Amino acid sequence: MGFQTNRTTIYIAAAVILIAIIAAALYIATRQAPETVETETETAAETTPATKTEAQMVELKPLTGNVREDIVNIARYLSANGVTEAKYRVHGSGDPNSIMRVYGIVEAAARLNKILEEEGVNFKIVIEDIKFSANADEPAKVFQQSFPLKQEADIIAVSYRWISTFAKEGYLLDITDYANAYMGSELEDYYDSLWSSVTYKGRIYALPQDTEARPLYILKPVMECLGYDAWDIAAKIDSGEYTWKDVMRIAKEAVDKGCSEWGVIHRKGSAHPDLVQFYYAFGGEFTGSDPDKLYLNLEALYKWLAVEYALARNGLTPENMLEWDWAKQIHPTIVSAKTAFDIGGTWYWTEWQTKKYYTDPQTGEQRGLTPEEVKERFAYSLFPAGEPGKSPVTLSQPFVWMISANAGKLNPKYDDLKEAYHRIAFLLILKANDPDLVAIHSIVSAHIPIREKAALLMDDQEFVGKLAQGNLDMFVSDEAREAFVEIAKKTAHPINIEFLKNVTYMLEYTHIPPLHPSYQPLAEFFKDAVDFVLKGQMTPEEATNYVVQKIRADPELAETIEIVGSIPSGWQISP
Amino acid sequence: MRLDRLFTLAFFLGPALLIVITFFFLPLLLTVYTSFTNMRNWNVDAYLFDIVGLYNYKVLVHFAKYDPMFRNALITTVVFVAVTLVVNVLGGLTLAILTFFLEERISIHYRLLWLLPRMTPVAVYSLLWYYFFHSDAIGTLNRILLLAGVIDKPINWGSYMLPLGTWWILIFVNGLVGVSFGMIVFYSAIRSIPWEYIAAARVDGASNLVIIRRIIVPMIRWHLLFVTVWQMLSLLTTYTHIFLLYEWGVVDRTWGQTWSLLVFNLAFLPVGELRQGLAAAAATVLVVIGAILGLVTLRILGFQRMITRPRGDI
Repeated sequence: MGFQTNRTTIYIAAAVILIAIIAAALYIATRQAPETVETETETAAETTPATKTEAQMVELKPLTGNVREDIVNIARYLSANGVTEAKYRVHGSGDPNSIMRVYGIVEAAARLNKILEEEGVNFKIVIEDIKFSANADEPAKVFQQSFPLKQEADIIAVSYRWISTFAKEGYLLDITDYANAYMGSELEDYYDSLWSSVTYKGRIYALPQDTEARPLYILKPVMECLGYDAWDIAAKIDSGEYTWKDVMRIAKEAVDKGCSEWGVIHRKGSAHPDLVQFYYAFGGEFTGSDPDKLYLNLEALYKWLAVEYALARNGLTPENMLEWDWAKQIHPTIVSAKTAFDIGGTWYWTEWQTKKYYTDPQTGEQRGLTPEEVKERFAYSLFPAGEPGKSPVTLSQPFVWMISANAGKLNPKYDDLKEAYHRIAFLLILKANDPDLVAIHSIVSAHIPIREKAALLMDDQEFVGKLAQGNLDMFVSDEAREAFVEIAKKTAHPINIEFLKNVTYMLEYTHIPPLHPSYQPLAEFFKDAVDFVLKGQMTPEEATNYVVQKIRADPELAETIEIVGSIPSGWQISP
Repeated sequence: MRLDRLFTLAFFLGPALLIVITFFFLPLLLTVYTSFTNMRNWNVDAYLFDIVGLYNYKVLVHFAKYDPMFRNALITTVVFVAVTLVVNVLGGLTLAILTFFLEERISIHYRLLWLLPRMTPVAVYSLLWYYFFHSDAIGTLNRILLLAGVIDKPINWGSYMLPLGTWWILIFVNGLVGVSFGMIVFYSAIRSIPWEYIAAARVDGASNLVIIRRIIVPMIRWHLLFVTVWQMLSLLTTYTHIFLLYEWGVVDRTWGQTWSLLVFNLAFLPVGELRQGLAAAAATVLVVIGAILGLVTLRILGFQRMITRPRGDI
C-alpha cells in the first residue's frame, strides 16, 4: 500500500511539474514581446528627457515635393519622438543583372542619410535583410504568405500584375497622396503609359521600377541566306505592311530552304505575357464598358491559337515549345541562328552576352556573345499585326516598387508614428528611382527606363564611360557600388545603349495586361490552350472553347469575365 | 474510476494525447472550419470569420460538373493510387524476399540502393526524371532510343497515348520512391520469423516458393496490412514529386494532376488569387475519402481478427 501511495505521489508531482513548466513557458512567450517594446519606450524616454517638449514643437508637415525638405522634416519629427533609427527590409527578384531591384533601395537609404548628415539631423535609415531571388514571382508569393503573420518585407520589387490582388486585400500602402505631392517634381518625367500599371481602382499602389518591350527578333544570318534584308522586314512589320501571314511565309521559306531549323521560337512556361501579344495583334482587348469586369474577345483568341496551330503543324515551331529548356534549348537555338524569328524580351539582348548560350564553332567552347556579335546577328521589330488592317504591338509588364501596408512595423512606437515610417518608405522607393540609378539598371539589364531624365543620361558619354570602366562614383553606398562593378563592366557598352534607345519607341505601341484579379487565372488557361494547339491535342476552335469552358466552370470567373464576340467561321491562316 | 488510476492514465497517455490533438486533430478541425469560410490570399484577419456555409463545396461540385480537367484529376487520382499501391506493396514484398534470400553482405547494398530515391532531395530526384523523360532529343530515354535506332524521332513520353504516358511516368517515379518503405518493413518482419520454421521447411524439401507462400506471407500478414493502408493514405495525399513533374511539363497538364495536387494548386500555386477556403474544402473531401478507404481496407483485410487477444497465458 505504501508503495502504491508513493507511486501515485510521484505521478501527481510529475504532472504538477509538467503543468508548471508549460504554464511558465506560456507566460514567458506571451510576456516577452510587450516587455521588449516597453523597454525600448522607457529607454527612449530616459535618454531623451526633453523629448516631450521637442515632440510637441516638431510636427509632421505634409509632403512638399522636395525630397530634402521632406526627409529632414520626417527625421526631425521621429527624432523628437525619441526614434533615431528606422529599419526596413527589402526583397527583389529577376534576372541576374537586375540586382538594382534591391540595391536601389540600399543606395536610396545612403542618399537620404547623406542629406540628413548634411542637415545635422540625428537620424539614420538602415536597410537590413536584403534578399534577391532569381524567381521573378518569389518575393510576391513570400509577401502574400507572410503578410498575415506580419513577417513580410517592407518594400518589394515585383511585377505590377500582383497589385490588384494585394491592393484588394489591403496588403499595400496606398501612396496616391504621397505620389500626388511629387507629381510636379520628381515624378514629372515618368512615362505616362506606366501610371496605368500602378493604378488600381483609381488609387496608386506602387511606383514603376523598370519596363520592357517584347520585340520580334529577326535572325540576320537566316535572312541573308534567303537573300532578304532583315532590317527591311523589320521596317515592313513596324509599318503594318507585313502581318503574321508574311512572317510565317518567310519562316517556312527559311525552313524549306534549309536556312534554319525552325521558323519561330518563343518563350515557354509563363509564356502568356509574350504570347498575349497575338491577342492584341488581332484586335483583342480586355477592357470594356464595365470597369470591374474583364472582357475576353473570342475572335482574337481564336485567331491567336490558329497561328500557333499553323506554326506547329507546318514544323515552324516545336510542338513541345512550352516544354523546352531555357538554357539547353531555347537560347542556344536562338543565338546559334537555328531559327528565323524569335519572340522574346528586350532583356535577352544583354542576357545573350552574360550567359554562355553560344557554342563557339572554332573552339567548341560555350560562351556569351559579344555586343558586336549580338548586333551582327539580330534585327528587331514590333510584334507583327495579326492581319491586314490591324496594328503591330508590343507588351510591357513593368516591375514596380510596392510598399507593405505595415511598412516600418518593426520600428519603435510604430502604432503612433506609422505615418512617418510610411513616408520614409515612399521616399526610399522615390530615391531608388533617381535618374542615374534608373539609367544604370536599364543599361546593365537591358530594360527600358521609366523616366525621361534616365533616358537622357544614357546619352551622356561621360556617364556611360565611367560605368563601363567600373568607375561608379555616382554611388554613395559602397555596398551598392561593389554589387554593380562587375556587371557594369560587362554590359555598359555603346551597342547595348544604342539598342535600348532604338527600342524605346516601342513603348508607344505597348499594351499592359489589365490589373484585374481574374486576369491571372485567365492567362493560365491561355497557356494551356497554346500548349494544346501546339501539340495538336486540340484544334484552335476546341482550344478556344476550352478557355470558355474553364471560365464557366468557375462561378467566380464566370461572374467577372465577360465573353464577347464569337469564333469566326471559315477563318484560317497558313504560311 | 479511481483518482490515482486517472492520474496514471493521464501521465502515460497525456503527452501522446497532447501531440495527437495539437498536430493531428486541431489541423483537421481547422481545415474543416476553413472550408466553410471565404479564406483567400492568407488574409486571416479579413476572412477568418467570413462564413460562407457550403459555398466552397458547391464550387467543387460546379467544377466537377463543368471542368473536364477536374474530372480528369479524379480519374488520375484513382488510377495513380490503385496502381502505385500495388507497385509499392508487391514491389516492396518482392524486394524484401529477394534480399532475404541473398547473402547479407550483398543484400545490405542492394537494400541501400533502393533507399536512394527516398534519400535524394525531391527537387534533385524530380529533375533527374525531368531530363530522363524529356520530350526532346536532350531527354536521356529519347537519346538512348535514338542512338539504338529504336525510334527515328523523339517521343513526348508525358503525352504519349494519353493519358497512359502521363500515368506511367507518375506511377514509375512515385513507385520507385515508395517501394523502399514496404521493402524495409517486410524485410525486418521476415527477419523476425524464427529461423527454425524455414530450416524445418527446407529439411522437409520445401522450395523457396512454398516457403514464401506457406511461411513468409502468412507470418507477415499484419505488416502487409499495415503497409497497404499506410501507403494508400500516403499516396492519396502525396504531391511533391507530381507537382514538379507537372510544373516542369514532363507530364501532361490535363492528366497529370491528382486530387492532392489540386488542393495544393488552389491554395498555393496561382499567380494572384489564392483560394484557401476552396482548397480546404477539397482537402476535407480527401480526408473523408481517405478515412472511408482506410476503414474499408482494414475491414476487408481482417484487422479485427488480427487484433483479438492471444489465447495463451498472460
